[in-house]
Amino acid sequence: MNRLSALALQLRAVWMLLGVALILFIATPYFLTSSNFMAIALTASITALLAIGETFVIILGEIDLSVGAMLGFTSVITAMVLPHSGLVMGLLAGLGAGAAAGLINGLLVTKVNMPSFIATLASLSILSGLTLYLTKGNPVGISSDAFRLIGTGHILGVPVPIWILLVCAVVFGILLARSRFGRQVYATGDNFEAAHLSGMPVTSVKVAAFVISGVLAGVAGFILAARLGTAQPSAGKGLELTAIAAVIIGGTSLLGGRGAVVGTVIGALLLGTIDNGLNLLDVSPFLQDVVKGVVILFAVFIDRNAGPIRIIVQSLKRVVPGASFPGKETTPTR
Amino acid sequence: MQLKLRGIRKQFGENEVLKGIDLTVNGGEVVALLGENGAGKSTLTRVISGAYQANGGTVEIDGSLVDFRKPQDAMKAGIQVIYQEFKHNLFPQLTVAENLYAGDRSGRHGRLWSNRAAMQKDADALLKSIGMAMSPSAIVGGLSVPQQQMLAIAKAIGEDASMVIFDEPTAALDQAEVEALFAQVRRLRDEGVAIIYISHRLTEVFGLVDRLVVLRDGVVALETTPDESSEREVVQAMVGRAVENFYPKEQHATDQTVLQLRGLSSAGHFSDVDLQVHAGEVLGIGGVQGCGKGSLLRSLYGLLPVTSGEVLLEEVTFRPTTPRAAIASGLCYLTPDRQNEGLAVQQSIARNISMATLDAVTSVGMVNARAEEARGEKMRSALDIKARSVNTAVSALSGGNQQKVLLGRWLMADPKVLLMEEPTRGVDVGAKAEIYRVINEQTSRGVAIVLVSSDLPELVEMSDRVIVMREGRVVAELAGNDINQESVLHHALESAAS
Repeated sequence: MNRLSALALQLRAVWMLLGVALILFIATPYFLTSSNFMAIALTASITALLAIGETFVIILGEIDLSVGAMLGFTSVITAMVLPHSGLVMGLLAGLGAGAAAGLINGLLVTKVNMPSFIATLASLSILSGLTLYLTKGNPVGISSDAFRLIGTGHILGVPVPIWILLVCAVVFGILLARSRFGRQVYATGDNFEAAHLSGMPVTSVKVAAFVISGVLAGVAGFILAARLGTAQPSAGKGLELTAIAAVIIGGTSLLGGRGAVVGTVIGALLLGTIDNGLNLLDVSPFLQDVVKGVVILFAVFIDRNAGPIRIIVQSLKRVVPGASFPGKETTPTR
Repeated sequence: MQLKLRGIRKQFGENEVLKGIDLTVNGGEVVALLGENGAGKSTLTRVISGAYQANGGTVEIDGSLVDFRKPQDAMKAGIQVIYQEFKHNLFPQLTVAENLYAGDRSGRHGRLWSNRAAMQKDADALLKSIGMAMSPSAIVGGLSVPQQQMLAIAKAIGEDASMVIFDEPTAALDQAEVEALFAQVRRLRDEGVAIIYISHRLTEVFGLVDRLVVLRDGVVALETTPDESSEREVVQAMVGRAVENFYPKEQHATDQTVLQLRGLSSAGHFSDVDLQVHAGEVLGIGGVQGCGKGSLLRSLYGLLPVTSGEVLLEEVTFRPTTPRAAIASGLCYLTPDRQNEGLAVQQSIARNISMATLDAVTSVGMVNARAEEARGEKMRSALDIKARSVNTAVSALSGGNQQKVLLGRWLMADPKVLLMEEPTRGVDVGAKAEIYRVINEQTSRGVAIVLVSSDLPELVEMSDRVIVMREGRVVAELAGNDINQESVLHHALESAAS
């Protein structure tokens, strides 16, 4: 695809986000307040961090189902190490645990040749089991003030977790879009054999992507524990699905070779906004998952039917000049 | 049956691909449909088969108008198409027999429960009747590419077709299989079936068909018979201008050895191969499918294990381990399968071109996108890749232009030895000429080229020397006037052994 349509795919999530925001702005006066925006971003930051790592894995045509379990695991490891060894060691232990889990995932997929769906499904089960075993199912409290400050403090009026998300999004966004490693991720995900025959280190690239996913799960686990003041053993339960949803809404193809970090972050914000809006509108929490499911279907539907939708929009354009729609470029195959 | 097309038009958006095609095909006749990629052959095929609906014009069968809304309609009328992408029409997990009768609605092998024994018996009879040695209980995914191709053909002609359209059927076949296929085509013709045959291989077409129809830019540019015409005239009609020499071979061979193999073997693939390639030379390797010529290239590129023997690259021992190591030593490999092994089609032209040489535009781990685009742009104009920009996705390009992108990737790597396998498979005449020009240009710069091709005229015309392999061994080396199609075939086929 050319640059423009790649951008259009990212923009799709933006349009949807703006659309949802507009609806909520009309529907409830509480939506358009800065404190509410911060609340959305805070909630979304956890999903977004997991989803950024997941983006690398999905562009490679693989999947990581263990990100939620890794979040729970790493936050508990952080909470257990931190009281004895200090903040830095606690953070490093959490990130290290995430990296190790990601490394094992990566090696299972590349060296043992296991489908990533199965390998990471097993990791999900193993890690969440280990987490419960280590904690006997109880939350692990942390009383470090410095630690709590990371979760609840502000810099320039913006909560620290959002700064951390921003830094991670920029760093990993640039890594994916501009680095040699990023190129290797796209090429390998698009056509593994072609990348291999071009001399790319395809195995290391895959392993590295799983490690990135693990490390970012560690960052998310750290932030979550810092915000709550305790590490909840089951904190990450089900979050892998939300993260994958954010990636897909953000325009990344499950088949690999296509996607970007910006879209993923916006996808996570969109899911957070929907959650928030449904709460403000007092919708039953049971129905919230239904709405999220519909949003995912809608996003993918637009992706698949960009061609037909474009035709409809183009014919509308003749009637209403100036109307526009971001869609995928289609080329007739001959 | 008689198929009569009148004024067929088809457009995609603003792009008019067929601009009023008149074509008649009678039963018992083989008509070749020729043209460069993009001339409209495939679109016309899809209109006939009901996959596309024409925007204008009429289709008549035996004098009565028909309107195929979907492929099933055309199949009911007895029209079968063997598409170039034949793999799409096969079920890899099922057996040969199950594939053959997958579309069978007669219920003769049971309606609810299938009678496998009866199905296998019928399949066996069908395969035997068309001279194919293949077990009906074999799993299709395990067959070789040519076998799968032959199965797709068997499937189509097993359906009592009154018209069969072959779209590039020989691209994946070797000489012996091509002969077997031609025997089938002639048999079908003699049974009164109408046949449309699409191919880029002119020599083969001239020996097979009764009539030639050349499309160019969506109109019929030439309609003739093999007797009244020549390959040159047909090529002229295809490209719309005079073509001086289709194989513009230039001599650049030196006697400086670049690549030398001594007793190279790869267990189960080939054994005891000795050869030398000189700077500026094109060494052709001939032989039937499975003779080891492709495996030889793959082992040099580190894709197959070398079990014994030695490789010298500019007189230094070279151990092929991985593609990465091969590229670093100046040895590049143009794969025959650009879709599955060559291109990352969702990525841009510039990115595909730089895939093997990313380091050159990388500093501190970051890719300089502007430098990458500039390099891509240079390669695009050097190879005349037709695209709106170097940021266009490769999937939007025609086969010939895709092949040029792949070739550009390796030219970027500035190889000492370029291993080319089927460099012009499935590309149009214009792109072919461009690829031959690149071969000349590279040899003039001293690059040693190993050319593996099942396109015999190409192999014979473009090589300075040809070795022929059979059953994993080198059986002949031809040079000078000894290089001709007959001698290559003679050594390649088993009959030469006796």
